[in-house]
Amino acid sequence: MMNTKLGHVWPPILVATLFLGGWQLLVVVQDLKPFLLPAPSLIASEFSSGAAMMWGAAYYTATTAFLGLISGTVLGLITALLAQRFITVDKLVAPLAAGLATVPIIALTPILNNMFNITSRTPRVLVTAIIVLFPIFVNVTRGLIQVHATQLELMRSLNATPRTTLRVLRIPNAIPFFFTGLKIAAPLSVIAALVAEYFGGPQQGLGSRIASAAANTAYGRAWAYVLAAIITGLIFYLAIIALERLVTPRKAQVSTTT
Amino acid sequence: MTPTQLDSKNPGSALAISGLSKVFNAGNPNEVTALSDVHLDVHTGEFISLIGPSGCGKSTLLRVIGDLTGFDSGSVQVSGKSPQDARKERLYGIAFQQAALFDWRTVTRNIELPLELAGWQRPQRQERSAELLDMVQLSEFAHHRPWELSGGMQQRVAIARSLAVDPPLLLMDEPFGALDEMTRERMQNELLKIRMETGKTIVFVTHSIPEAVYLSDRVVVMSPRPGRITAEIDVDLGDREEMTRESDHFFRCVTSVREALRAHGTSNSTSSSPGGEI
Ligand SMILES: Nc1ncnc2c1ncn2[C@@H]1O[C@H](COP(=O)(O)OP(=O)(O)OP(=O)(O)O)[C@@H](O)[C@H]1O
Ligand SMILES: [Mg+2]
Repeated sequence: MMNTKLGHVWPPILVATLFLGGWQLLVVVQDLKPFLLPAPSLIASEFSSGAAMMWGAAYYTATTAFLGLISGTVLGLITALLAQRFITVDKLVAPLAAGLATVPIIALTPILNNMFNITSRTPRVLVTAIIVLFPIFVNVTRGLIQVHATQLELMRSLNATPRTTLRVLRIPNAIPFFFTGLKIAAPLSVIAALVAEYFGGPQQGLGSRIASAAANTAYGRAWAYVLAAIITGLIFYLAIIALERLVTPRKAQVSTTT
Repeated sequence: MTPTQLDSKNPGSALAISGLSKVFNAGNPNEVTALSDVHLDVHTGEFISLIGPSGCGKSTLLRVIGDLTGFDSGSVQVSGKSPQDARKERLYGIAFQQAALFDWRTVTRNIELPLELAGWQRPQRQERSAELLDMVQLSEFAHHRPWELSGGMQQRVAIARSLAVDPPLLLMDEPFGALDEMTRERMQNELLKIRMETGKTIVFVTHSIPEAVYLSDRVVVMSPRPGRITAEIDVDLGDREEMTRESDHFFRCVTSVREALRAHGTSNSTSSSPGGEI
């Protein structure tokens, strides 16, 4: 058990070490200036010396991301449930998704900033929610539609109403699809919340900090905030994986009787 | 009780089909006459098999009986009712080639699905599913998930599910098609046992001549383009036992079914299923 777990952990650690070592070596040997590429050691020292600031900024952005993720997911689920009554073939989902993906949602931020109070978090949560909505909507709609024809025939043979079929067959069928959507949406929500900060408003988030550090030529610090953003996104992703493990039955979890 | 005794004791009509026609994509260039002027009567408690080359309309006929698809002309009566009423009253259970189990439900809860939809209370459901699990000999797998079961076991769960509300009619569309020959023969014996215990009327679709002969009281031979019934062969094998499959009578029946299939200009390549060429 431990062995297999370690077996999974070693390769990425090795790759990361080689990557960071090579990076450090490159910066030192080539004598690169920090505005071009700061050394990992510089980023690390900025990261640890500004830990409290990092934590605070990450907490602010993560809160925006979390609120956006929750509301976007709820909206995505509702639209998917509505759509599944009208979209009956999977072929219709893909072009719809592609069409929606080309809408420059992040560019809505300044408009939303004007519509709502710019000093509040609301416009950022809203942008994050809209961005989260799409992967949830597309994946859940797929899951609700992509039901085996034989299973549908079975439901009909049992005289099931469309509502019962939704509850008994379509929704359970959509759950793995829902998690696929969430795994895309969760890190995306952090990116959206962060980028939305570039358009003005409260300045305590990761996006604002990265922008101001870069403007002040504090490149090491800017990169340290980027690192904090990556870690935040990763935590969101891992939280979804944990939730998925909790909710869906795994083959290994089922005990065998003799 | 032998199947023939059941027949003579219980002469009620389970299924009465006359002049049935079914056309797919009518008026389009890809129009297909799936069924044409089909007549078929099945007594209560009778076991009939539908056999014929691929595309001759066996599944379509089963779907029409089960009101899973409509038909264009003729009349269909299931226990004296229209297919739609029969379906709404849950007068039949159906098993398909794929087990079509729900992965997110345990074996027990898969079997209980029809009971849930029919509004049974939990204690009654549990009692009934335990009974059915015992019948298909899967009691120890009650709380397993479908993916942990072999193909044959999954098919047994699907059959148990089709029997759940105790419908008088069982529709089976190649339920053993994906199984190896040994498992298949065992499943055939289990099905005959269930049939003996429950006295159900069974309409069974298969590609295997020996399977049709071994299971049925009557083999109904179909031919394609347009799909119609070309022969009906009575099988009077009495009680099935170890030696039945090797008896002369069995081979004579197999031969007459094969000849009936050949007689209608179809090469019948699809019926060369495992065991078909003994
Ligand atoms: N939904 C459908 N739309 C159009 N044509 C169909 C449809 N279902 C069946 N057909 C056509 O009807 C004919 C009979 O099909 P059916 O599935 O009943 O054959 P079958 O005897 O069950 O064949 P197999 O042994 O391969 O299962 C075929 O020509 C098929 O192409
Ligand atoms: Mg078929």
